[in-house]
Amino acid sequence: MVLDSEVKDLLAKFPKFDDTLLSLQYAPRLPKAMVKETKKIIALARKFNQEVTIPYALELDRKTHEDHDFLPWDLIKKANEYGWYSMWIPKVFGGRGMNIPSCSYALEEIGSVCLGIGNIVGVHYLGVMGIICAGNAKLSNMILHEVAKGEKTGNPCTLSLCITEPNAGTDTEELELINKGKASCYAEKVKGGYVVNGRKIFISMGHVAQWTVLYAYSNLKKPGSNIVGMLVKTGTKGLSFGRHENKMGQRICPASELIFEDCFVPDEHVIIDKEMIKKFTNKPPEEIFMKVIDYIVSISRCAVGAWGVGAARGAFEKALKYAAETKVDGKLLINHEWAQCLLSEMYKNIALGRLSYIEGNYANSHRGIFEILQFKPLYYYLKYMPTVFFDTFVAPFLKFDAANWLMSKYFLDMQPHADQLCTSGWASLAKFACTDFGTKNALLALELMGHTGLRQDRFVEKQLRDAKLLQIYEGTNQLNRVNLFKCLIAPVYPQASVFEE
Amino acid sequence: MIVSMNEELKSFQDLAENYATKELAPKREENDKYPFGLFFSSALAKAHELGFLSVTLPEEAGGIGQDIGALCVILSCISTADGSLAGIIFANSLAQEVAIKAGETALLAELASAATAEGSLLAFPAYVNPLDMDSFIFAKKKDNHYFLTGKLDYLTLGGLSSKALIPAKIQGQEDYSFFVINLSSAQVIKSEPIFSLGFHACPSVDISLNNVAAALIGEEGKGALYFEDAADRMHVASAAISMGIMKGSFDEALNYAKERFQGGRQIINWSEVKMLLANIAIKIKNADITIAGVCRAIESNYPDWSLYSRAAALQVQEMACDVTIDGVQLLGGNGYMKDYGQEKRLRDAKQAQALLGLVPMEKIRFMKKLTE
Repeated sequence: MVLDSEVKDLLAKFPKFDDTLLSLQYAPRLPKAMVKETKKIIALARKFNQEVTIPYALELDRKTHEDHDFLPWDLIKKANEYGWYSMWIPKVFGGRGMNIPSCSYALEEIGSVCLGIGNIVGVHYLGVMGIICAGNAKLSNMILHEVAKGEKTGNPCTLSLCITEPNAGTDTEELELINKGKASCYAEKVKGGYVVNGRKIFISMGHVAQWTVLYAYSNLKKPGSNIVGMLVKTGTKGLSFGRHENKMGQRICPASELIFEDCFVPDEHVIIDKEMIKKFTNKPPEEIFMKVIDYIVSISRCAVGAWGVGAARGAFEKALKYAAETKVDGKLLINHEWAQCLLSEMYKNIALGRLSYIEGNYANSHRGIFEILQFKPLYYYLKYMPTVFFDTFVAPFLKFDAANWLMSKYFLDMQPHADQLCTSGWASLAKFACTDFGTKNALLALELMGHTGLRQDRFVEKQLRDAKLLQIYEGTNQLNRVNLFKCLIAPVYPQASVFEE
Repeated sequence: MIVSMNEELKSFQDLAENYATKELAPKREENDKYPFGLFFSSALAKAHELGFLSVTLPEEAGGIGQDIGALCVILSCISTADGSLAGIIFANSLAQEVAIKAGETALLAELASAATAEGSLLAFPAYVNPLDMDSFIFAKKKDNHYFLTGKLDYLTLGGLSSKALIPAKIQGQEDYSFFVINLSSAQVIKSEPIFSLGFHACPSVDISLNNVAAALIGEEGKGALYFEDAADRMHVASAAISMGIMKGSFDEALNYAKERFQGGRQIINWSEVKMLLANIAIKIKNADITIAGVCRAIESNYPDWSLYSRAAALQVQEMACDVTIDGVQLLGGNGYMKDYGQEKRLRDAKQAQALLGLVPMEKIRFMKKLTE
């Protein structure tokens, strides 16, 4: 038998117990109320699908082909009415404060019908996380209360996140790459703020968001050490919209080009820069910037994984229904053994994908940015205290610099590096596994349905068009494979290096 | 293409490449807007003028009387630029092959003599093997005349042509027959062009017939025989479309990989990109040699050539689906946009895979033929 004294060393060997079997380690720590809360969220997503997604998806997809400039204002209003835009904003910032992992399940549900509409709901949180993950309590408090207010007044206030540039896509998500790359969006420090010049592309919801969370660079020769995060309101002088991108799928959710020409952003709208980092740590700024990026993508990649599972599920459900209703060669497809095996393969893809994004969520919940929110006493305190309490007693405190210092110190300075690697690695795994499954299932559904599946009015061809984008955004699946290697495999061998071949 | 190593086929390749480069490639994005944009009538007219709509049609029927190799060369070159026109040529050639098997050269000669490209087309349900159909149009026979009633989904070219060749079952018979109908008949109701995944400018329609006068082609109950014989040859032609799509995807990806930088280097210099490109190139080379071999087998009447033709289609079509997924991936976000041809090639590859019927059922039929 193994001795107790041996256990620690044996479990520290590769693959480390701490970095695997996450659900086994962390499920017991789950506040029980989270399960009930999650069930309610899933039910709400299903109701939203019945009342909004299913009736609108095909019609609007077709509409975007007829009229490329179409913008989904009505849908955004509907999503706002359902409370999606404040659902996962913590109560301290004015939101409904639902547990953040439940966002994945809701996105899977909506994505199983339409990834474009799923994106209209979900991509707003990329902007939200672009502020929270930078540890800026003051701006989180200001802007996220505005989102909550938009929900009450019926005038949606949504956020977009601006990172990708015409000559820097993948590069923007890895500091090692961007330092050698072609970053071009320049934020020049001037008295009282920054002046931004440059272009950002492929910005989901860009044309329709009220605020954009912009990441630019104050030194284009060494951008990785000189990131500047800013909030820019739509309508600000110097910010205009370029082309409305003409995508293969997810067309209901617009992707935009944003053009910054001598656009002045005041200091009070700066989310993070080098000077702000100096106030809470002596660590090099690039280390902190990488942590901010990793926090954001560790959440967003799990969410994209959930969409991938949604895509896989949607394709499976359509194929199953078709097989149950259609006769081929004299008998129902569902009674052909080959079709049964194909449907089982699709079901397996869904189940395995879901398990992987759940593991990614456990990493985020216990080793990443959600950690503090899943701490049971705090979870219940936040859950049962009325919002008015936070608005009255907590929000005023968040306006002080001390709140920024505390939040930045806790999230950006104190997270162990091993936790950063674990969360980032698992998020990448979930992202590329689930999105490959999504595309694969759409292809399999088309194979089973033949020409019937090719028709836009039968949903499945749209699911393939929509699913393909999942393999590209939030870092291509190739980049995510390299990131998994970097985070979960390379640390075992000191001689292993990435991005240096 | 290896199949065009001989001089005559090389001239077809040059002709088709020249046509595709000048007539199709520059307007690919615009032509793909159909049915929400204009139909590319002038490109189709030019294809008609060059004889691309009657490549395998015998000379006595007004065609240019080439064998399957010439059709494969033309389809491959055209689909490198735009799969939609290849889809039109394929569907029309398939209908012609079925009619030839049924001995209907007079009908084909009449169509070939039409003044316009649209007038020479014969609509056909190119995406289904009638044996897999759940329900059939019924034919009522009265005084040696036939009248058809029922519905048929996804009739390719049905919105363009004036005549269609469709399968139907004569009342009281188990096996189906083929009939020609006039699509302008008042008893024919056609849907709007169906908005589909790929081949946007090769439209299909749903039709509904109410006692429509029809002409039987060949003999009663011999439809499956004519279709399977035609499909034996046309499978390799569908593989040629898929190969052309793959080639277009590779060319676009290679050019992009040389121009695009990541981490300060051309992306072609990252080994994972090289790996993806190599996987695509290897598949194309294998498809090329496979198609060439099948064409030679057909032309020399090699034993069991039909199995080679069907195997080639199943393999190359699947390769094209994989290749075009990676073809988009190599261009990242740009590959997903309509500005490049990659997203269209992904859609077209999957559309092409559905030609001639359900893939799994095709595999089962293949095994049946193999073990007979």
